[in-house]
Amino acid sequence: MTRLIDELRKLPGIGTKSAQRLAFHVLRSSADDAEKLASAIRELKAHLRLCSICNNITDVDPCSYCTNPVRDQRLVCVVEEPTNIATIEKTRSFAGVYHVLHGTLSPIGGVGPEQLRIANLLTRLPEMDEVILATSPTTEGEATARYLADEIRRTEPRVKITRIATGVPAGSDIEYADEITMSRALEGRRELLS
Amino acid sequence: MTQRQGEAIVLRTWPFEEADLLVSLLTREQGRIKGVARHAMRSRRRFGGALEPMTYVRATYAEKPKQELVRLDAFEILWSPLAGPVDYSRTAALEFVAEVLEEVLPEQAPEDAIFRLAVTATEQMHVGHVWMPVTYFALWISRLMGWMPALGHCVACGLDLRGRSVFYSDVVDGVMCEDDRRNGSELLSAASVAEALRFLRSPLAELAEEEWPKKRAADLRHFAVTLLERHLERRIRSARALERA
Repeated sequence: MTRLIDELRKLPGIGTKSAQRLAFHVLRSSADDAEKLASAIRELKAHLRLCSICNNITDVDPCSYCTNPVRDQRLVCVVEEPTNIATIEKTRSFAGVYHVLHGTLSPIGGVGPEQLRIANLLTRLPEMDEVILATSPTTEGEATARYLADEIRRTEPRVKITRIATGVPAGSDIEYADEITMSRALEGRRELLS
Repeated sequence: MTQRQGEAIVLRTWPFEEADLLVSLLTREQGRIKGVARHAMRSRRRFGGALEPMTYVRATYAEKPKQELVRLDAFEILWSPLAGPVDYSRTAALEFVAEVLEEVLPEQAPEDAIFRLAVTATEQMHVGHVWMPVTYFALWISRLMGWMPALGHCVACGLDLRGRSVFYSDVVDGVMCEDDRRNGSELLSAASVAEALRFLRSPLAELAEEEWPKKRAADLRHFAVTLLERHLERRIRSARALERA
C-alpha cells in the first residue's frame, strides 16, 4: 500500500491525501479492474510514441491529426505540451494541425532552443500558410513565441505568423483582473461589428 | 499570526502539493523568504500574472509562529516584465538576476541596497538592451556581497595595475599582473577595467543612455559572472543561456 501511495504521489497534481484516496479505491475495486488499470499503464509505455511530424503523443505514426484529410494542413498551431491540444480541441473552432514543442525556453531551467522540438517545425514551413503561436502568456512562453517568430521569418518569410490573444477570461469579473491582463485586454480590443 | 505587507520581488515558483505554488520572494523588509500561494495553479483570481519571475509587487502575507513558509494572501503588481516585449535574451537576463539573488542571499536577511539594485537593474532590461544592466547587476552584487577584488594592483606582487589590463583566475582571489598570472587565467582588458570602475561610481540610469551591444565589455561581463560562480561554487545556468542568446 505504501509503495502504491508513493508511486501515485509522483503524478502531477497528486498530493498525499489524493494518493491515499486513489490507492484505497484501487484496493476496493475488483482484481479485474486493477489488472485493466495496470495493463493500460503498461501498454501506454509500450505503444505510445511521438508523431514524427508534429511531436504529439500517438499510437500510430503519423498521428490522427496529421493524417486527417479534413484538417487544414497549411494552418499550424504551435503548443507547448501535448495536453494543450486537448484544450484547443475542446473549442471545436480550430480545424488546422498542431506542432508540439515539449516545453518552453527556460534559461534558469537550462532549456535552450536546442532542447525544444523546433527543427522539424522549420522543415514543415514550406507546406504552411499560417503558424499560430499558442505558447502560454508567461515570460518564458512569450520569449519562446518571439524566438519562433524570428526563426520562422528567417526561414520562410512568406508564412503568416499570429499569436493567440490574451486578456480577460470569459465569464470572469473585470474587478479581479490584474493590471497586466487588463492592459493586454485593452491593447487587443476589437471593433464590434453589427 | 503576524500579517505583513511590503515590497517584494518574485524570484521563482515551484508546483507545491496539489494546486498550490511555492514562491521564493525577495522582500524589502525581511529579505528572502518562501511562501505558499494557495490554489495559484488552478485559479489566477488572487494573484493573476503577479507570480511571474522578477515581478515587483506589494505583497500581503501572514507569518505563523514556528512555521518556515509564510501564507501568501495577495500581490499587487508594481512592475511586471510582461508589461513590455519579451525575447530570449531579456528572459535570460531577468532569470539571471533571479537565479543570482536566490543563490547569494541567505533567508531572512534583509539587504536594502541589493533590493534596490535588483529593482533598478530589471527595470532597465528591455529587448535589445540587456547587456549593460546585466553587467552592472553582476558587478554591483559582487561588490555588495564583499566579493569584488581591488582591480588596481596585483594580488601577488602588489604592482600598480591602474590603466593596464589585468588577469584573473577562478582559483585566485584578486587580479594579477602578466608576470604573476596563473595557468588558465583570463584577460580583462584595460578598457573593461576602466568601464568597471565607471560602473562602480555611476548610477545605472546614466549608463543606460549609452549604446551597449553584446560585444561591448563582454570580457567584463564574463569576469563578473566568473567572480560570482567562484564564490557560489556552482555554475549559473541562466548566465550560460544569456551568452548563447
